[in-house]
Amino acid sequence: MQIWLPFRRAASPTTARRRVLPALATAAVTALALSACSAPTTTPRGPEFFDWADVQIAAEGQTVKLWMWGGDDQGNAYVDDVLAPAAAVQGVTLERVPIADTKDALNRVFTELQAGRNTDGAVDLVWINGDNFRTGKQADAWFCEWTDLLPNMTLVSDSDPLLTEDFGTPVDGCEAPWHKAQFSFVYNEATVPNPPTTIEGILDWAEDNPGRFTYPAAPDFTGSAFLREVLYSVSGGYENVPSVYSDDAFAELSPALYERLDQLAPSLWREGSTYPATSEQLTKLFADGEIDLMMTYGPATLTALVENGTLPETTRVLTVEDGTLGNASFFGIPSNSGNIAGAMVVANEALSVEQQVAKADPAVWGQFTVLDLDVLSADDRALFDALPQSPVVPSFDILSQNANPELSAEWVPALDDGWRTTIAAR
Amino acid sequence: MSAGTTSVNLDKPVAHPPRRMPGDHGSPLTQSRGVARVLRILSTALIALWFALPFLPLVLWSFANQWMHPAAFPMEAGTDGLTAALANGGGLAFIHSLLLSLVVAAIATPLGAMAARALSRGHVRFGKAITVLLFSPVLLPPFAAVLGLNVLLLRAWVPPAIGVVLVLVAVAIPYTTFSMRAAYSAYDNGFDDAARTLGASSRLTLWRIHLPLIAPALARSAFLAFLVGWSDYLITLVVGGGHMITLPLIIASSASGVGNESSVAVLSLSAVIPPLILLGFIARTRNLDPGKQR
Repeated sequence: MQIWLPFRRAASPTTARRRVLPALATAAVTALALSACSAPTTTPRGPEFFDWADVQIAAEGQTVKLWMWGGDDQGNAYVDDVLAPAAAVQGVTLERVPIADTKDALNRVFTELQAGRNTDGAVDLVWINGDNFRTGKQADAWFCEWTDLLPNMTLVSDSDPLLTEDFGTPVDGCEAPWHKAQFSFVYNEATVPNPPTTIEGILDWAEDNPGRFTYPAAPDFTGSAFLREVLYSVSGGYENVPSVYSDDAFAELSPALYERLDQLAPSLWREGSTYPATSEQLTKLFADGEIDLMMTYGPATLTALVENGTLPETTRVLTVEDGTLGNASFFGIPSNSGNIAGAMVVANEALSVEQQVAKADPAVWGQFTVLDLDVLSADDRALFDALPQSPVVPSFDILSQNANPELSAEWVPALDDGWRTTIAAR
Repeated sequence: MSAGTTSVNLDKPVAHPPRRMPGDHGSPLTQSRGVARVLRILSTALIALWFALPFLPLVLWSFANQWMHPAAFPMEAGTDGLTAALANGGGLAFIHSLLLSLVVAAIATPLGAMAARALSRGHVRFGKAITVLLFSPVLLPPFAAVLGLNVLLLRAWVPPAIGVVLVLVAVAIPYTTFSMRAAYSAYDNGFDDAARTLGASSRLTLWRIHLPLIAPALARSAFLAFLVGWSDYLITLVVGGGHMITLPLIIASSASGVGNESSVAVLSLSAVIPPLILLGFIARTRNLDPGKQR
């Protein structure tokens, strides 16, 4: 099926991408990741620059291609209208390559490495985290040990676990932080006057209000995060779940999770006979008023979605007492990028106080900063304090209270598979 | 408009007296009436509606700034969608897509025609094996084919833009070959032979007899080849390495998010219109059969 007509794509925008491409992509990425290891060995390029001045000289005049998921208009506009002009001042041209799935960028890099094109890759910078980062790291596809050179890294805490590990994979200077995200539950104030305050409370609420709650089917990114939230809850808190995966821990802890979800299923939207396939579909159900409580790992977009009328004005974010999962997303530079210095300049610029403040403004993008507010000067801190409050999303310090660490990446497929065989197969 | 060496005057065809054959359109045998006629009109209308209906929300969304459930119609009309589509690079992507698709059609159509002609005349040895080979790009899963080919292209240092055209032409050739084969199997070589017998050079025969006769089929296969280039996401992205941002790239990436409905609608509409215009042109390409000229 080579021909897909554009209007077909529009009729079902997310399913085609989510179902077909990832399946193929995962297969191909795995195959390529394996073959890349055996292909003409590409020793990861180490730091080639003595100091930042070296980088700046090398970066002058380079064009950096940033491959990033293009499904967020605000994010696209921020990069085009705020970050790119700032990079231009540093002598670097920043061009955005919009992709439907971050795996597309990895595929390009793996193919280039397999073909022995080790110094002139088409991907200079990727917006990345989690599984994609790990896959790239296993295949030695990242340029590493470069973040220490960035002057603005001094504004970032070096002990923040969200920034030193990416879903359990040590960052090792192979990616520079960009912003933080907090898993959030979202409710409609008009239909949920007394929202629950704990994860268990949410599940009880769902049972008291049949048909008004659901979650995306694993292995959707958000659906899978929800499984981990419930696992923490039924285990009595994240402290009781070892972050490193082991079969024993899984066998001990997972039955309570599936039992709870099994018990919940009849009270879900459509009695749990079907689940939304993606978080986009879940958001659509919420937008259409079919459910009253939903979840997202990207609360930054909520303000704009309410403003442009996609979501009701009574949309609110729930602050959960047990805390929720948090993660960060990063900029990775493929080891074969032809414009490594330029990419480093962009990553550094993106970490500047001006850029982080601009991006944190809900009217621009609303993404939470990765900077350590305690090390900032009083003036810089004031810039963050002066940011307009979103009427929908609480500030990061409120949202990230009692934040839970992410489990290591090995937990994810195990929990997803367990969900598929026990809950989806009910 | 004279054929030059021959006495065949294309401007003034001999007026044939209308000769009615049983089964010709308009004869009592083919006249539908009563229930059959109503059913025919009704089913045509239903099919037309079936095709048109999906476009209605697309058109409505294109001009909607705000449209929330459960409102049946957009709550606020405006051009936010257009603005967002342009801000996302929709304009340049449209031009890139148009150029790419036209180049693919311009290369794949004559190649497909030549392959079809050779195959249908039985000049080629191992015709069946070659047919299978020609169709292999359609039979292979595109993802595997693209990644495999791309390694080859990268090793050979083929520039990305040329690589994209090469791969898309390879994907389009089965379609053009197939549609041209159907045309050639119904083509009477007698026309070419007659022209040559009457003294026309082979070039003149090609231009004045052969091409006009296969023009509608050529237009159809060019349309198919155009669609291959027009709708491709994977090859353009992975082989093009982000050097060529076409409309499908922008549509696929913005459709993967929530809340972009109006800009996705504008982009999709702009992706549907050029093929529709081309389809209109094809419907107008007449078979320039010298014996049937207006």
